[in-house]
Amino acid sequence: MADAKSEGSTGLPDPSGEIVDQATFSQILEMDEDEDEREFSKSIVYDFFEQARSTFDKMDKALKEKDLAQLSQLGHFLKGSSATLGLTKVKDSCEKIQHFGARKDETGTQDEPDDSKSLNKSGHSVGQARHEFEEAENLLKKFYHDNE
Amino acid sequence: MLHRKIWVKRPGASATLVQVREDDLVDDVRDVILKKYGNSLGRSFDAPDIILRIVPRAEHGQKQVERVLGPDEQMCQTLDKEYPGGQAVDEALIIDIPQRRTPKPSPRGMNPYMHSYLEEAARPVENGGDYFPPMPAASPAITAASHHSNHSSNEHTRAMSVLNTGQVPPLPSPGGTRRAHHKNSNRPAYMRQHTSSPTTLQAPPTGSSQKVVRPRLDSNASDHRHSAILVGNPPISTPPAQTHDGAAIAPTSTLVNTSHPSSPRVSSPGPRKPKARKNKPPAENTMLAPSIPTSLGLDTSVPPINVLIVEDNHINLKLLEQFIRRLKVRWATAVNGREAVNKWRAGGFHLVLMDIQLPIMSGLEATKEIRRLERVNGIGVFSGSSASSEAPKLLARKSQSIEEAKEEDKLDVERLFKSPVIIVALTASNLQVDRHEALAAGCNDFLTKPVNFVWFERKVKEWGCMQALIDFDGWHKWKDFASAQSPVNSKTANGTKDKKPVKEVVSVKKPAASKPPLPTEDSADLSGTPGPDAESSSN
Repeated sequence: MADAKSEGSTGLPDPSGEIVDQATFSQILEMDEDEDEREFSKSIVYDFFEQARSTFDKMDKALKEKDLAQLSQLGHFLKGSSATLGLTKVKDSCEKIQHFGARKDETGTQDEPDDSKSLNKSGHSVGQARHEFEEAENLLKKFYHDNE
Repeated sequence: MLHRKIWVKRPGASATLVQVREDDLVDDVRDVILKKYGNSLGRSFDAPDIILRIVPRAEHGQKQVERVLGPDEQMCQTLDKEYPGGQAVDEALIIDIPQRRTPKPSPRGMNPYMHSYLEEAARPVENGGDYFPPMPAASPAITAASHHSNHSSNEHTRAMSVLNTGQVPPLPSPGGTRRAHHKNSNRPAYMRQHTSSPTTLQAPPTGSSQKVVRPRLDSNASDHRHSAILVGNPPISTPPAQTHDGAAIAPTSTLVNTSHPSSPRVSSPGPRKPKARKNKPPAENTMLAPSIPTSLGLDTSVPPINVLIVEDNHINLKLLEQFIRRLKVRWATAVNGREAVNKWRAGGFHLVLMDIQLPIMSGLEATKEIRRLERVNGIGVFSGSSASSEAPKLLARKSQSIEEAKEEDKLDVERLFKSPVIIVALTASNLQVDRHEALAAGCNDFLTKPVNFVWFERKVKEWGCMQALIDFDGWHKWKDFASAQSPVNSKTANGTKDKKPVKEVVSVKKPAASKPPLPTEDSADLSGTPGPDAESSSN
């Protein structure tokens, strides 16, 4: 069975595809002009690290200030870029943050009238997203042979 | 939480792995499948519609008896029970979808080919059929060609839907019986589209066309999905050109001979090796239009359009920029809706890729604003020629909007806006409702994020070619002129900034093709920089 998932299991940061979606990430790799330098993909990935960190900081701040709307927006924002890189888990958690921040349940379908619950859940999801991000970051740094 | 992967497949299609959790019920798996098949299923089906069938291993000599999985079964337990030792690829669960989503009376009643219409109803509807009418004739010649091509190239008529949905609508196998129905039904080729015809050709260019309900006549069972290889032959057929399937000199369209002649279609977009992209079919340089001489040197696969990318997240923007660079068209970027509208107002854009959730002004608001400005300025391809049918409406709107069309709303219609801009929404969501909202706001089409390059390329080509066709004379002139006078461009581009008030907006606009603009205007329009930040990547 020629399956898109199985064909390129080498040369990707996460062959299992659980943390970094292969299809999504490999198309970024394909944008690299030079497969050794990987200038483009590396820059986009490292830009993302920066963006994610600053977004998590903003999320912490929003949590402190109990600013649900801001949380929702930040969740949406980071969801976009993590999806672009194929960081599935981070994306899913960010989506939850977006929903919780919008005073919904985690799927965004039911309203959640209790703000403190929403805040609580957002806080939990932010922690989770951060953890998942770090997991992905480690993988990606290894991929780019960056051992700092 | 433990995860594992299970094989699933659509009937007759290749199996794929989806990730489920140990404790997932079949019902959860349906969700996952919708995500995996985000395009072919996810856009038109809800998870509960999905039926999963399992084919248990047969005991020796016994016949395999498949059964439908109940939504409350434990997925992994069931699999372990049925497939001790693990599920093999060829034991993939079979995904079934209901035969029919929305009951629609067939205009032809029960005919022998009804079954294929039923299948048709089950096809993704996303960008199209219900929203946009079939393409009006761009010019008599073109339409005529498309009629002629009915028989010899009826595969190609599907192509627009390929471009729109990224999917090749399943074809009857050559020589298959179902083919007969194409012959019997003397439908114009363009009726075959599942997806929209270019809405650029509709006037007025707003969401008002939603009411157009086009019977979904087309058909084709999904069981032949993989027999189809073609890509990119839009419904507008043009005089003889090379076809992909070796059908020699069929009057097929050369418009969008895309660069993937040999790629099997994928129901969910997968990554594609760049090499595939580089293998350009020889027909590509004939793509612009029937009469474009190859001497124009159109060596790219995408017409020389100007694309505005609107995206607030710079990571995403960066990737989209890289994508568009690959396509070698001119482009510019904006990071919010307000900036997008302003850049668009400067003129010269043919295609806008618009993120929906944007700061300051959302993508939907920006789209509405652009459509409003187009309306009050009477920008529409056929606003001149279609005056007979559209006049009352347009006039009504005009009189109503005449006071709206203030000085600040006025655009240099004659020179900078040949046709309504195509707006492709970038949506993060798979939800139909979001798409409908985007279409209602005036978007022509959408791409789901994360954006896949293959789709991106198709959309840009597809719509780009459409725009190129509309402004064919413009390209023609531009090509000649640009090659001769490229150094002058920057000057003339500045000259276009002085806007003249447009009064008789409704009556003066003619189809661009019949009114070749002056060379200077062309150079300004097509190769001049549209905005301060516009970058040219065409070199």
